[in-house]
Amino acid sequence: MATATAVAKGGTPSRPVDPTRRAQAVAGWVLALPFVVLFLAFTAGPVLASLGMSFTDFRRADIRSPLAVQFVGLSNYADLIQDPLFRKVTLNTLLYLLLGVPLTMAAALAAAVGINRLNRFKGLFRVAFYLPVVTSIVAVSVVWKFLYRHHGGLFNTALGWVGIDGPNWLDNTHLALPSLVLMAVWRNFGALMVIFLAGLATIPREISEAAEVDGAGGWSRFRYVTLPMLRPTLLFGAVITGIGYLQFFEEAFVMTQGGPLDATRSVTYFTYDQFGFGNFGYAAAASYLLFLAVVLLTYVQFRWLGERDDRPRRRTRQEVTS
Amino acid sequence: MKTTRNSVVALLSVAALALTGCGRDSGGGAGAEGQGDAIDDGLAEGTIEVWAMGTEGEALEAFSKAFTEANPDAKVEVTAVPWDGAHDKIANAIAAGETPDVSLIGTTWMGEFAEAGGIDPTPEGLVDEADFFPGAWESTEVGGTSYGVPWYVETRALYYRTDLAEQAGWSQPPATWDELRQFATDLQQKAGVANGIQLQAGLTGAWQTMMPFAWSAGAELTDADGAEYTLDSPEMVKGLEYYTSFFADGLSSTDKLDPGELESGMADGSIGSFISGPWHADLVEEAGVSPDQYAIAPLPGTDSAPGNSFVGGGDLAVFSDADNKDGAWKFVQWLSEPETQQGFYDEVGDLPAVQAAWDSGDLADDPQLQVFGQQLEKASSPPAVPTWEEVASAIDSDIEKATKGQMSPEEAVQSMQQQAQSIGTGL
Repeated sequence: MATATAVAKGGTPSRPVDPTRRAQAVAGWVLALPFVVLFLAFTAGPVLASLGMSFTDFRRADIRSPLAVQFVGLSNYADLIQDPLFRKVTLNTLLYLLLGVPLTMAAALAAAVGINRLNRFKGLFRVAFYLPVVTSIVAVSVVWKFLYRHHGGLFNTALGWVGIDGPNWLDNTHLALPSLVLMAVWRNFGALMVIFLAGLATIPREISEAAEVDGAGGWSRFRYVTLPMLRPTLLFGAVITGIGYLQFFEEAFVMTQGGPLDATRSVTYFTYDQFGFGNFGYAAAASYLLFLAVVLLTYVQFRWLGERDDRPRRRTRQEVTS
Repeated sequence: MKTTRNSVVALLSVAALALTGCGRDSGGGAGAEGQGDAIDDGLAEGTIEVWAMGTEGEALEAFSKAFTEANPDAKVEVTAVPWDGAHDKIANAIAAGETPDVSLIGTTWMGEFAEAGGIDPTPEGLVDEADFFPGAWESTEVGGTSYGVPWYVETRALYYRTDLAEQAGWSQPPATWDELRQFATDLQQKAGVANGIQLQAGLTGAWQTMMPFAWSAGAELTDADGAEYTLDSPEMVKGLEYYTSFFADGLSSTDKLDPGELESGMADGSIGSFISGPWHADLVEEAGVSPDQYAIAPLPGTDSAPGNSFVGGGDLAVFSDADNKDGAWKFVQWLSEPETQQGFYDEVGDLPAVQAAWDSGDLADDPQLQVFGQQLEKASSPPAVPTWEEVASAIDSDIEKATKGQMSPEEAVQSMQQQAQSIGTGL
C-alpha cells in the first residue's frame, strides 16, 4: 500500500511526460514484488484454492493426487442446505448471534455510560471490565465449566443458598446455549465498552448541556442525544461483535463438545468436524456459506444502523475505518 | 475493475475445466491389490526411520538396541510424535511423499491411509495371522488386504467397587446381561450408590461403550466383504435397547462427565461401576480407590461371560514412499515376535497384540491383566474404512438421541444406517 502511493506521488508532480516515469514504474513494481508474491502465495492462492475446492468432491484420500477429483458444481452447497445437522447448527449460530450481540452491546453501553459519569476509579473499572477480553478463551471456558457444574458449581451453590435446586446448565438442551451466550457476553463486553467510552468522549458536552437547559431529563438526553451521536460507534460495535459471534467455536469445543444433542454445535464447529472427517470439499463449502452470512450480516447492519442520506454516511464510513 | 473481474472468472473456469478434465479414476484404491511380495531372510541393512507416538515413541529407540545388535548394518532412528498432531502429520507426509519408513498407526486410521495409497500391503509370509488376537488383525485389513501388523492392543472391561458390591450382596461380578442390570440396581438400592453403572450417553466415542453390547447380541457393523453397512439389524436394536435401558431406569446418568469425575465418583462411592480400558486401573488408584476395593471383570454376555468388547490399539505400517522397505518390514517382523512383545510390555506397559506373549511373565500372573487377555479373545474392531470416524460420529449422535429418549432404539439404528449409507465406506 505504502509503495503504491509512493509511486503515484512520484508520477504526478510534472504534467509533461516524465522521461523517468517508466523506470519509476518498474522500480515501483520491483519494490512491491515481495509483498505481491507473498500475498498471492499465502493469501489469494489458498483463498481461491479453497473456493475451487468447495465445488469438488475433494476428500482426504485424494491428497496424493489433488487434481484427480470430480468437479461437482454446487452440489456440496445443495447437500449442505439439505443436511439436517447443518440446519441445526445454522439455527444454533443464529440464536447465539441474536442473543449475544444485543446483550453484549447493552452491557457494554451500560458500563460505558456508567463509567463515563464516574469521577474517581474510572481507570480501575475500565481495567476490571476489560480484563476478561485479554484472558485466553480456553482458560475462561474451563473456569466457567466449573462454575456451571451441576453439583458443586458456584452458580448452583449460590442458588442452593436461596433454596433453589439448580439445573444442570451445560447438560440441558435448552440451557446449554444460553449459558455459553452468558459467558461470551461477560468475556466480550469489555472490548466494546472501551470503544463506546471513546465514542462518548467525542460527544461535545455542550449539546448535552443545551438539551438539559431545554428541560430534557436524563433518559431523554441519553435517548435523543447520546444514542444518535454514538450511532457510528454502535454500528462498528455491532459489526465486529456480530462477526465474532457468527464464528463461535472454542467455548462449545471446550465446555460442551457441541452437546447435549448438538444444542451447542455451531457452523464453525460443523466445518471443523467435516475437515476432521476429511471431507475437504464439503467443509470448504460450509465455510464459504458462513463467509456469505458474515458479508450479509455486515451489509444488513450497515443498512439498518448506518445513516440514510449520502453525505453523513460517507463520514460514518471514514470514522469506522480510521 | 471490470477486467479484474473478467480475469477472475476466466481463471475459475480454467480451473473448473482442468478439474473436470482430470476426474477420478474409478478402479484401483485399497484392497484391489494383493499382499506384497515376500521379503528375503537376510539381515536388515541401512537406516530405518520410524515414527511413533506417545510413550512408545520415547522408549522405542533405546528398546531397538537388541535389533541393531542382531543386524549390525542397520540403524534405527525413532522420531517421537505427539498423539495430538500425529494423524495430520502422517497425512501430510503421505501427501508430500516425504514419509519415514515405518510408523505406528492408530487402528482407526488404517482405512484412510491405505485408501490414499500411502501404506504398503504386508508382504506374504511376514507374520502368521493366527498369532494375533483376531480383533486386532481385523484392524489391519482394508478391503480384504492387510496393510500392516498389529503392535499393541487395548480392550474394555467392567470396573466395579468390590466392597460396595459385597454390601449389595454380590461376591462375584455379573456374568450375564440380566445379572449386570440386577447388579447395578442392587448397588443403588442396597449399597446407596447414586449411579449403579456409569455409561457414556453420547458424544465422541460413545459407540465404543455401546457397540460391545450390540456385538454381544450378534450385530455386525458391515457385511462379510466390508462393502455395506448393516447397522439396522434386529441384533443392533437388541444391543441398543439394552444399553438405553440403563439410562431409562436411572441406573446410569446421561450427564457428560468432566475428566476426573468418573474416577472421583468411583472413589467417593457415587459410581458403582463403569466400562473402560486398562489405563483406568492407574487412574482409579490415583483417585484414592485402594487396589482391594475394586476389581476388573470381563464384560457380561447375553447369556454368559465374557461378552464381546471393543479392541483398539496401534498397528505398524510401512509407507509406499519408504526408502528402506526391506529393512522396515524386518524391523516390524522383529517387533511382533512374542519375546520382543513381552519385552516391550515390560518397558512401557503396552498390551501385546501377539497371543503367545501372554503365556509367561507378568502378563500370565497378574489377575487384572489376565482379565484383559481373556477379553481380547472376544473383542471386535470397527471396519477399517476411510470414513469410519464420520460414521462413528453419526452413530454417537444417534446413541445420544436414544439414551436421552428422543428416539426409540429402532429409529436410532435406522437413522444410523441411513447416515452410514449416505457417507459410504469411502473405498
